[in-house]
Amino acid sequence: MLRASVLERFALAVVSTLLALLIGSVIVWATGYDAVEFVTSLLYGAVGNLSNVAFTLRQSTMLILTGVAVAVAFRAGVFNIGVQGQFVVGGFATALTILFLAPLLPGGPVGGVVLMVLGTITAIVAGGAYGALPGLMKAYADANEVITTIMLNFIASGVVYFLIDAYLRPSGTSAPNTESFPDYVDLPGFAFGSGSFSVIGLGVALATALGVYVVMARTSFGYDLVTSGYQESAAAYSGVDPKRTVVTTMTFSGMVAGVAGAMFAIMVLGYYSDPSTFPSFGFDAIAVSLLAANNPLGVIPAGLLFGGLDAGGQYIGFTLDVPSELVDGVIGLIVLFVAAPELFRMSARRFGLGGDDR
Amino acid sequence: MSVADYAAEHRLAVGGGLAALAAVAAITLLDLPGADLLTVGAAERSLQAAMPIALAAIGGLYAEKSGVFNIGLEGFMIFGALTAAAAAWLISGESSITQGDLWLAILVAVVFCALLTVAFAVLTIRYKADQIVAGLAVWFIGLGFGPFGATVLWGGVSSPTLPNVNDVVIPGLAELPVLGRLLFDTSPLVLLTLVLTVLAWVVLYRTRYGYWIQAAGENPEALDTAGVDVNRVRYATVIFSGAMAGLAGATLSVGIGSGFTGTGVTMVDGRGWIAIVAYLFGNYNPIGAFLASLLFGAMDMLQIQLQTVGISLPGSITGLFPYVAVLVVLTLVGYTRVPAAVGEAYETESE
Repeated sequence: MLRASVLERFALAVVSTLLALLIGSVIVWATGYDAVEFVTSLLYGAVGNLSNVAFTLRQSTMLILTGVAVAVAFRAGVFNIGVQGQFVVGGFATALTILFLAPLLPGGPVGGVVLMVLGTITAIVAGGAYGALPGLMKAYADANEVITTIMLNFIASGVVYFLIDAYLRPSGTSAPNTESFPDYVDLPGFAFGSGSFSVIGLGVALATALGVYVVMARTSFGYDLVTSGYQESAAAYSGVDPKRTVVTTMTFSGMVAGVAGAMFAIMVLGYYSDPSTFPSFGFDAIAVSLLAANNPLGVIPAGLLFGGLDAGGQYIGFTLDVPSELVDGVIGLIVLFVAAPELFRMSARRFGLGGDDR
Repeated sequence: MSVADYAAEHRLAVGGGLAALAAVAAITLLDLPGADLLTVGAAERSLQAAMPIALAAIGGLYAEKSGVFNIGLEGFMIFGALTAAAAAWLISGESSITQGDLWLAILVAVVFCALLTVAFAVLTIRYKADQIVAGLAVWFIGLGFGPFGATVLWGGVSSPTLPNVNDVVIPGLAELPVLGRLLFDTSPLVLLTLVLTVLAWVVLYRTRYGYWIQAAGENPEALDTAGVDVNRVRYATVIFSGAMAGLAGATLSVGIGSGFTGTGVTMVDGRGWIAIVAYLFGNYNPIGAFLASLLFGAMDMLQIQLQTVGISLPGSITGLFPYVAVLVVLTLVGYTRVPAAVGEAYETESE
């Protein structure tokens, strides 16, 4: 998918982002807002002060994890649009584990670490299982994974909401939230002093990206996965079972999404809630992954950029009254431009720039 | 012929049979009053819920028949829903919205979405953009700019309550039992959907242009050799699919709804995706796609029927029925013979 040299990919990512931001600014200006203020506020919201940086890094942590989940699948030529659902299910598994085991285990830092580790492991299992489902449906029933994963996103969100509302909501409250996790189940904020961002969370995201990169570049499983993405028939000829690869790819992708869910439950929320109110990390992750040419290491800078865009977008929502949905639209435009490298190649040739790339 | 092949060729029969079987099983096992579930009111509601799905499905199947997978239907529907509500609101100005305003607003939505798909078509056909990624991008753009546009106009992600298109009673015909109420004493958009379904079938299977569309998707080289511009046919079908998605969205917001809702994944709420499944299930046949939409529409409205017979499930669960139905349909009869050249940009030899 979308093959090009590294340098060309990088140029494509930069040009797509700038063009989308430009269109966003024009729309801001056309709807009667101040475009210059829009851009400067976007920047300030992303990196303007320590707490804004913490917010950016928190969003980046989530986008790197979900972005790696998307990259795993897209690299293998499987369109896992269900990272959002796998992330929701994974986080729910974490919340269940922590809430049910907390009374049984000793409190304090040790109990906290044990609960967080166990919670993350169950999230990985749950996310993987929820990812395996559309993988099985694609491999053995030829069901288009784009559609099944989108349906499973709706279903995950609805079922988790129902379970929380019906069984996990503390009596006497009306909001569909579970009880809060015990105090000792939390990642330390360190220098940022933020209740919802921890360097450890970012570390987990970076380690996951690196780990997945190593698996894809250095193991035979990764080799099979990437070859299937390039050419299924060639992979099949060299002895790869395409059906099995689809299932394992989707499971692997769902497992990474599960890690994202665990981080969201532990680091960001500290309880669990109605998934329809969650940010759509699983969708923005598609843009992140595409921008990174579906390379797990490339997801890191792309995730940082989108974390900044996201934080800046929310900031302008508060301060400028410019609806923060605008940034979602800009992200959509970036995806659109990244999908059409020919657009830039042709216009580059027309204007006599880089015309020798063919 | 294997079972899978048979199932693929007779997908509607198989799927309909399974649905009927499941319904009978549910009625006997759970001891439900079947007569109360299958009322004319239920059929009427199902038909209404099916309309937007069917309209988008027909557009989508034309595009895919010609070789372009328009996975952006959901996004174009969001734009259609927003544009229709916005146009009705802007056209009427300070005065109250009239029926004429509403019809004009629907037209504006159709034209606007057709124009948007021109850009999509240029990207996918001329610039050979990845059709799946570009289609997803359209959805994201809709999810962003839909609520954004609403906020700019109304100060919130949803519009105020707007009137919708009045039902039309056709004297005489409306007196017919069952059919009268379903077709001749209801929203005129129901009739429009039926007419468009039949027209789409006739054009696709009984006209020369329909054969061109099929050839553009199955064997573009042959069509090119015969002197027909493949990409021109594809532009036409993709733009048609955008116009139909716009009509579908407009139907939701001002046809049968009461304005635009932009919370969550907006009021379109996956109907564009369901539309894709509807035409796959209907094996790219407009009439099949319509019948499949009817099934999904019935699932959507099942909640009301279950309530009337005294079964009260929480809305968060009954709201999932259509999505579960889609999964079941795709898994049981998911195998579809996709037109041979779908997803591939066509480059003519003569350039």
